[in-house]
Amino acid sequence: MHIDPLRDITHNPFALEGLAMLSLIVLMAALAPVLSSYQPDYYTGQIFSHPSSDHLLGTDSMGQDIWSRLLYGARTSLVVAAIVAVLTTSLSVFIGASSALLGGPYERFWMRAVDAMTAIPPVIVLILAGAYIQPSLLMLILLLSALSWPEGARIIRSQVLSLKEKEHINASRTFGANWKHILRNHIVPELGPLITALMIQDARRAVFMEASMAFLGISDPMVISWGKMMQQALDFTYLDVWKWWLLPAGLALSVTLVGLTFLGFALESAMDPRIRKSSRIEMEIENPRTIHA
Amino acid sequence: MSQERPSRIDLSNYVIALLAIFSLNFILPRMIPGDPLHAIYGDEALVAMTPEMEAELIKKFALDQSWGDQLLAYVFGLLQGDLGFSYYYKDQVSTVIMGALPWTLLLVSLTLVVATSLGMILGIESGSRRGEPLDRGVTAGLMLLNGFPVFFMGIFLLLIFGVSLGVAPLSGAVTPYSGLKGLDYASDVLRHLALPLASLVLVQLGELYLLTRNTVVSLLGEPFILTARAKGCSELTVKYVHAARNSLLPIITAAGLLVPHLFIRTIFIEIVFSYPGIGSLLHTALDARDYPLLQGILLMFAVLVLTVNLLVDLLYKRLDPRVRYAH
Repeated sequence: MHIDPLRDITHNPFALEGLAMLSLIVLMAALAPVLSSYQPDYYTGQIFSHPSSDHLLGTDSMGQDIWSRLLYGARTSLVVAAIVAVLTTSLSVFIGASSALLGGPYERFWMRAVDAMTAIPPVIVLILAGAYIQPSLLMLILLLSALSWPEGARIIRSQVLSLKEKEHINASRTFGANWKHILRNHIVPELGPLITALMIQDARRAVFMEASMAFLGISDPMVISWGKMMQQALDFTYLDVWKWWLLPAGLALSVTLVGLTFLGFALESAMDPRIRKSSRIEMEIENPRTIHA
Repeated sequence: MSQERPSRIDLSNYVIALLAIFSLNFILPRMIPGDPLHAIYGDEALVAMTPEMEAELIKKFALDQSWGDQLLAYVFGLLQGDLGFSYYYKDQVSTVIMGALPWTLLLVSLTLVVATSLGMILGIESGSRRGEPLDRGVTAGLMLLNGFPVFFMGIFLLLIFGVSLGVAPLSGAVTPYSGLKGLDYASDVLRHLALPLASLVLVQLGELYLLTRNTVVSLLGEPFILTARAKGCSELTVKYVHAARNSLLPIITAAGLLVPHLFIRTIFIEIVFSYPGIGSLLHTALDARDYPLLQGILLMFAVLVLTVNLLVDLLYKRLDPRVRYAH
């Protein structure tokens, strides 16, 4: 591999802006206890108070400090993003790569599953499940991961199909390496940039889905979420509170999503020359359904 | 082991996906511990229910029978177009959905037309000015908009134009009880449509723009563009007749593939603006725990999405002569 897209993107303004936005959110999440003087669930005794030195963003309809809820909300988004990204991408890589390497009925089964699953919008399944099962953060994470892997698996599979015809993989096979060894020592390292791109895309989708579900009212009652803050604040647009309740939550969510979008876009452009070598993969990467959640 | 996508349309994928949704709809309420009737209709509905009604419903869903009989009852109900009874609206679920569907379709189709044509024009202009300040500015701006969660875009526009400036109506699709007729009615509908439409277009624009731009960039290097220029075609003709026409295929495919996405975005936008379409209906169903309505909406939605995907597949095969001649 002569081109390293991961090194390449450090010169890309989109990547730098994206990284800056994400660092901001990570800082908010990490320093939440330091930056806020109230527990996010603490009842301060006054509702709808205006921003003051005591409450930087005032208090909400439940009398809770909005600034601390904003900071702790970053934790929820980032935790969901990180876990879903790792789980989904692992599933995509394992299923996509093993299908390409093993072939036969195994491959046909999984590719059929991929085709059928990509036809179903995950939002529908999430809403349906959320309505019947008591929504919890763990359930959301598991469901999201279980629903999001197929697109990534399809991309990984086609990449592995072209990789496995390469000389060094053939050589490894000649020496008696089994598919697990080939996957671990040859394929996964070469797929590094692609896997990173998939993880960013999965993380973005996870953040969006968590907020969207919370916005619809499908969320863990114990979890602090920007989506839920926006849902609650939307009922009070006739008051002035939206300026320090609704907007900050929406902006924080947007900064996270835009950051991930920029980073993903930069990575995709950096990988372009490699991807363009194979027209089939190019078509799939440019297929907008696979790019943006 | 076939590595190519099958060139004939594979209906079985759609059948499998549809069956998966049907079974989810059937199994989920029955998996909940306790009385399945509670799960199907929700606790709130049963409070208002008389024992006679309950007995009738148990008979209708064959809940006292085996799972096989329940499945038969469920399938027969669906085949007759019976999606159940919405206790919140006190009407058939299918009737309630049909009342809301036109508003959603209006919003979706207008967004599709506006976003696709605007995205194409911007993409062509940007692509032919690759690397210039205009190109970089528009790309960065649209990427930014595309990153915004759609409901926040809606809320943002609502707060600025509706709440702060007061130039746009806050909610709904028409002014209630205004008794407007003809042209006045149309302009009232348009006024209510403006903000939801604008938010959807702004978020939707980025994907089509980027695709058009990249397609045009690669097309402008082709020999036939050089020929067109050599013939003395004006820059406008080269851009809009030669390049645009040849970039239509990927754009139409992409626009089609984005439709399911657009429907989901529309759901959120309708909730923000209380626009009386399927999205607001879904919100009500979730709030009121009106399970038959919820299931009906999601079922219809799934069928809609699958149909659109199938149509895009068909259209793609008709439009691309290479695919058509391939077999």
